[in-house]
Amino acid sequence: MRNQKITFKQGCFFAVLLYCIAVFVFWLCAKDQLNYRIDKTDMLKLESGIGEIMPDTVFTQNFRINENGELIYISFPIATYSRDNDCDVVFGIYDGNNLLTEKSINTLGHPDSSNYDVYFDVPVALEKNKIYTISISCANSFPNNAVTIYMGKGYEAGKASVDVDLSPEMQVKANGNPLGYALCCSICTRSNLVLGKYFPFMATGLGLVFLVYLMYMYDCSKVGRSCLGLKLTSAFSRYKYLLKQLVSRDFKTKYKRSFLGILWSFFNPLLMMTVQYIVFSTLFKSTIPNFALYLMIGIVCYNFFNECAGMCLSSITGNASLITKVYVPKYIYPVARMLSSGINLFLSFIPLLLVMLITHVGFSKSMILLPIPIICLAAFSLGIGMILATMMVFFRDTQFLWGVISMIWMYITPIIYPESILPQEYLFLFKLNPLYHIIRMVRIMFLDGVSPEPKAYFISFILSFGTLIIGAVIFKKNQDKFVLNL
Amino acid sequence: MIEAENISVSFKMMKDSVKSVKEYLVQMVKGKIQYEDFFALTNVSFKVAKGEVMGIIGHNGAGKSTLLKVISGILKPTSGKVQVNGVVVPMLELGSGFDFDLTGRENVFLNGSILGYSEKFLKEKYDEIVEFSELGQFIDVPLRNYSSGMVMRLAFSIATVVQPDILIVDEILAVGDAEFQEKSKKRMLELMGGGTTVLFVSHSLDQIREMCDKVMWLDHGQMKMIGDTQEVCDAYAGNN
Repeated sequence: MRNQKITFKQGCFFAVLLYCIAVFVFWLCAKDQLNYRIDKTDMLKLESGIGEIMPDTVFTQNFRINENGELIYISFPIATYSRDNDCDVVFGIYDGNNLLTEKSINTLGHPDSSNYDVYFDVPVALEKNKIYTISISCANSFPNNAVTIYMGKGYEAGKASVDVDLSPEMQVKANGNPLGYALCCSICTRSNLVLGKYFPFMATGLGLVFLVYLMYMYDCSKVGRSCLGLKLTSAFSRYKYLLKQLVSRDFKTKYKRSFLGILWSFFNPLLMMTVQYIVFSTLFKSTIPNFALYLMIGIVCYNFFNECAGMCLSSITGNASLITKVYVPKYIYPVARMLSSGINLFLSFIPLLLVMLITHVGFSKSMILLPIPIICLAAFSLGIGMILATMMVFFRDTQFLWGVISMIWMYITPIIYPESILPQEYLFLFKLNPLYHIIRMVRIMFLDGVSPEPKAYFISFILSFGTLIIGAVIFKKNQDKFVLNL
Repeated sequence: MIEAENISVSFKMMKDSVKSVKEYLVQMVKGKIQYEDFFALTNVSFKVAKGEVMGIIGHNGAGKSTLLKVISGILKPTSGKVQVNGVVVPMLELGSGFDFDLTGRENVFLNGSILGYSEKFLKEKYDEIVEFSELGQFIDVPLRNYSSGMVMRLAFSIATVVQPDILIVDEILAVGDAEFQEKSKKRMLELMGGGTTVLFVSHSLDQIREMCDKVMWLDHGQMKMIGDTQEVCDAYAGNN
């Protein structure tokens, strides 16, 4: 008895230590994204040049941004007519007639038609929805020694385009005369987030709540009262071995009589990616820089979800002979199935790594945050799995229904296609879909090499753990009736 | 040790057999789907003290197996309360949870963990299990290649290796050939005689008379008699 209490204290100590380490690592990896947010406006589709920028012309373009923020840089697609132009283009930002900042860029040696990021020396704070003006001029250019900048009429969306506001006020003007187009540029701003400032306090507060609960648990264990945390830990230590056995059985029997065995866990996502890459790369490649990795992340995450939900679905009916003969808490079965799919997920990260190597994606510290979306994904899949397992007991048609639904789900999640092809009015389909948020988080971590914005974490956590809680409640309410329907 | 208070178990049975989905929906909209409650057990109360062996007798469908399922926690009673203190090992069916693609050795650990044995215990008793089952070298062969007798022998060996607080037995399990049957019967009697609390269902009155401290007679889900072994057995025998 005494011995057990010491281990309980040790357990608490480890839990607190683990919490501290997790928070610290998170802070280290996501510090930048907690402190500020980077917004970048979309570039218009390049359609035509504004003509050589000559000393006698000043081009102006009004713009506004959606969030308050500090201007970092503006990216312009500059065309050089495939020659060396030794001239200095001056970019200025005005608030009305008031010059906020300017920057002179020498264009010698600039590659043709590529984006040039103009960083301004003086930081400028921009307010949202206020109209500012970019001015572009050049004092030392002459014909055949000048550059030009592109302008366009709309955003690219797949093969079509979306028109922008081309009222005279929002057109690019040459010495005040509207040209009928808008200037192609992408404005990158940085807005500070309050969260970064309060994160240490929030983390400490949460840690304290956690500590208080641990103490409450300790108190409960001393007087023999039961509480949720205590029940969970005792159930875990009691059924740990059973869980391990069930997972190892699932895993062993899955590939038991196949020739390649465990290698299928690597080949399956790799082959699927290859096929889809070949089929879809011509369609979507242009809009996504690293389409292979983009696709692979989507496939790996969705495969886990699909496998986990599908296996949980039959976890109760498939173990009918056990459930009617031996008492074991029934949630063990879907949890075991989820864990064995988890092993598969872990293995399929090896081909993902392979794709990373092939496409020269380097390691970035944001990848350390991968466990967060994975935990969300597991919670979400288990939640759905528990709902399905419950439905399956009373309604055997569920398995066929799920086959269709999971296919629809795959197509409304941007796995093989870019997010941008969906029209604005259907965007809610993504917003409501936890899989979209989770896959998007993983993609940001791997493809952009930064941590997702704090909002993404909140949404993913709430949606996925909400699903898990709903699933668990439905499961728990019905579990006593399972045995009558098996 | 075991305390049951007024436990009832009822199942819902649809009164008219509805043959199609359409008919079901029509009936449901009309609110005409009627269920009949079938009581598998009605108000059964009893107490079993530690170390006691209680026999349960009754005709087929009297609710004996249902009662065992309620005690072992597989089935929740519709009403009433059951309190069981201690580790229950239900021997309702042997080998539940065997996976036929796994080897005998893997199944020992799988089945053992399902029955609630700890890892340490299984590792300690592993040799004993294999020895008792007389499987020898076949222990590393997948179960699908076993004969049915071998499967039963293995299952029996795993199930009876433990010394549980409460043992629930649905008929004395004698499996395998004559020799092994003798051996397994002996093991069962050992288990039941070794100070454990036993709930024992049997159709053999001789066995009941021989082993039990008290006997419950169930008839159509109702407790007809409970008490001294010889008295209840005599009454039951006289009733037939």
